Amino acid sequence: MTTEVLFPMMSKEEPDAEGVVGTWFVNDGETVAAGQVIAEVQVDKVSQDVEAPVAGVMYQLVAEGVGVRQGEPVARIG
Amino acid sequence: MNPLNRLDLYKEMVRIRQYESRILQEYHADKKPAWDIGAGLIPGEMHLSAGQEPAAVGVCAHLRKGDAITAPHRPHHFALAHGVDMNAMTAEIYGRDTGLCHGKGGHMHLFDPENHFSCSGIIAQGYPVACGQALAFKRKGTDHVAVAVAGEGAANQGAFHESLNLAALWKLPVIFVIEDNDWAISVPRSHSTANASNADRAAGYGMPGVRIENNDVEAVFEAAGAAIDRARAGEGPSLLEIHTLRLFGHFEGDAQAYRGADLDTVHDRDPIPRYAGVLKELGELSDEQIASIAAEATTEVDAAITFATSSPSPTADDALLHVFA
Amino acid sequence: MTSTDTATRRITAAKAMAEGIALEMRRDPDVFVMGEDVGAYGGIFGSTTDLFAEFGADRVIDTPISETGFIGAGIGAAVEGLRPVVELMFIDFYGVCMDQITNHMAKIHYESGGNVTVPMVLMAATGGGYSDGAQHSQCLWGTFAHLPGIKVVVPSNPYDAKGLMISAIQDDNPVLYLFHKGAQGLVWMEKNPRSIGHVPEESFTVPIGKAAVAREGTDVTIVTLALSVQHSLDAAEQVADDGISVEVVDLRSLVPLDTETVLASVAKTGRVLVVDEDYRSFGLTGEIAAVIAEHDPTMLKKPFRRLAVPDVPIPYARVLERGILPTRDKIAACVTDLMA
Repeated sequence: MTTEVLFPMMSKEEPDAEGVVGTWFVNDGETVAAGQVIAEVQVDKVSQDVEAPVAGVMYQLVAEGVGVRQGEPVARIG
Repeated sequence: MNPLNRLDLYKEMVRIRQYESRILQEYHADKKPAWDIGAGLIPGEMHLSAGQEPAAVGVCAHLRKGDAITAPHRPHHFALAHGVDMNAMTAEIYGRDTGLCHGKGGHMHLFDPENHFSCSGIIAQGYPVACGQALAFKRKGTDHVAVAVAGEGAANQGAFHESLNLAALWKLPVIFVIEDNDWAISVPRSHSTANASNADRAAGYGMPGVRIENNDVEAVFEAAGAAIDRARAGEGPSLLEIHTLRLFGHFEGDAQAYRGADLDTVHDRDPIPRYAGVLKELGELSDEQIASIAAEATTEVDAAITFATSSPSPTADDALLHVFA
Repeated sequence: MTSTDTATRRITAAKAMAEGIALEMRRDPDVFVMGEDVGAYGGIFGSTTDLFAEFGADRVIDTPISETGFIGAGIGAAVEGLRPVVELMFIDFYGVCMDQITNHMAKIHYESGGNVTVPMVLMAATGGGYSDGAQHSQCLWGTFAHLPGIKVVVPSNPYDAKGLMISAIQDDNPVLYLFHKGAQGLVWMEKNPRSIGHVPEESFTVPIGKAAVAREGTDVTIVTLALSVQHSLDAAEQVADDGISVEVVDLRSLVPLDTETVLASVAKTGRVLVVDEDYRSFGLTGEIAAVIAEHDPTMLKKPFRRLAVPDVPIPYARVLERGILPTRDKIAACVTDLMA
């Protein structure tokens, strides 16, 4: 059973704004614990940490620095 | 004191705002989707003066060629109001060889000796330099003045206090301007300063001090005129504290999370539409004029951006030039 | 496939140094933080991330723009037994507070004949590479290492950032902790992947005065620090393709300077390149040359080589700044040249 980790809705004024994963803290295929910080994401100049909602093996769906919309999946844990 | 020309004050504020708005746009345009401070055609820090136009315009309305200004890290409004060439200034911000400083200085280090304009990124350190310029004017026997600009945070830096004493002691023709925009990056004035007004501190140092509220360009104009007249007449320094408004962040990239509810009403306090309203009430500004002034400003700013972006960059070896004369 | 458990999670160097401060603040109620925008803002370069939320305004204090005032206040608090961690926002701002640093913080212990201690950490952001211009891009560790009485530490990676901070706070001497902005792992500044790394959650120390061999090699020794360690490691990987084996010595501390590790490496390889983002003349690179020459200049098969910022203020425009910084490509070129 896989869980998708979504890019958080950071900009309510601009829901369509693109952001990026600024930093992956977990490599593709590594095991994560629930609550572990897996990435720091950024929309414009605001950044925040993203935590793994569940434990499991994490796969990155998007590379650092590539534009991604808020709400889109950035990782898969299963 | 120069006579009040409301239209000129308005035009200059619009010109500055158009500039800052365009720089804001250009600065961020190529920092997407990842915001990287070092990326893009305008890299590095950027401190914009939108909202603080009344301070620059009200003061500079009384300055002539030969008067000096030292400005801080947020210098664009004073530079433009004092006659610094918009093209050369923009080229400098873009790091081009045609810039004021051949790309060496950037936006915090704009030097225009022809207009006796300089700025520095170290807080309050323009104050003693302005005292020195005033000293030179006094010794040369001219009636030129020096204007030192800093923020309310700078008034807690040693150089501020040394400068005020020195200027009062030596009766220097210098006007100390404090732009109180409420915030020193994330720290509000209430958390940094024991006095409610730096006009009180001026009195403590032996010079007249005035605090102007409401970001009111005409009140600035009046007070600045009096201070500059005093200085030209050899009567010594004054301090002007102007309660103004930082419309954008401290620097571009500042998410301003610390600013809280203050941010919600910031655009309601924009001094330019407010002054337009005042002038319209007085019958001195029509909607057509508002539009044509805006268009004129846009044309000038567009030309400056074009000049800058089509200017050549310096070459890497140029980095070794100009250490010594 | 590597597995990650919570004890070895990866964090940024910024978060690591802040975590070091947090652990010491939990352990010792005398530790507190002062500086500009260190509170809710978390420090302009992330040095105090999350501290305000945990410890509040009483122990994480936003100061006015009064460097002489608050650094002096840190000194005073330290002589009375507290353990302040004071931030000077940019090391370039030293001009406005140099007396407190060099004539007071550095000298009180000596002038008092050892009777008074100043257990204070002064942390400051250093370094350039993102067009912040002449007054906001300097390194200046050479200047401070030159003045007696201050320990100087310069981490290059998250693990050392945390360990050196804990050591610095526990040290009863004044410690200048210089962190390179480009090595903080900030999302809003171009970063080298080495700015993110495994850091244990528990408290640990990294000894002050001990260099680390960041990469073992046999042909050329690079002696370096801060962000230049990351660039040197990248350059070492690059030249490995050409069959050149580079040893990278990460100094980690300038005062005390681990001459033993440096000399052992140079004795092994016979070729040395000192990479320093500080100004070239009268600084770290000259110091290392002197250390080698005093010990045994015949160790060198090739003349001593240094790569530093030339003696010019840091220019603003990107092409100009890149022209003077010790980049990975320049480092690789120097190494290749040494092997020619």
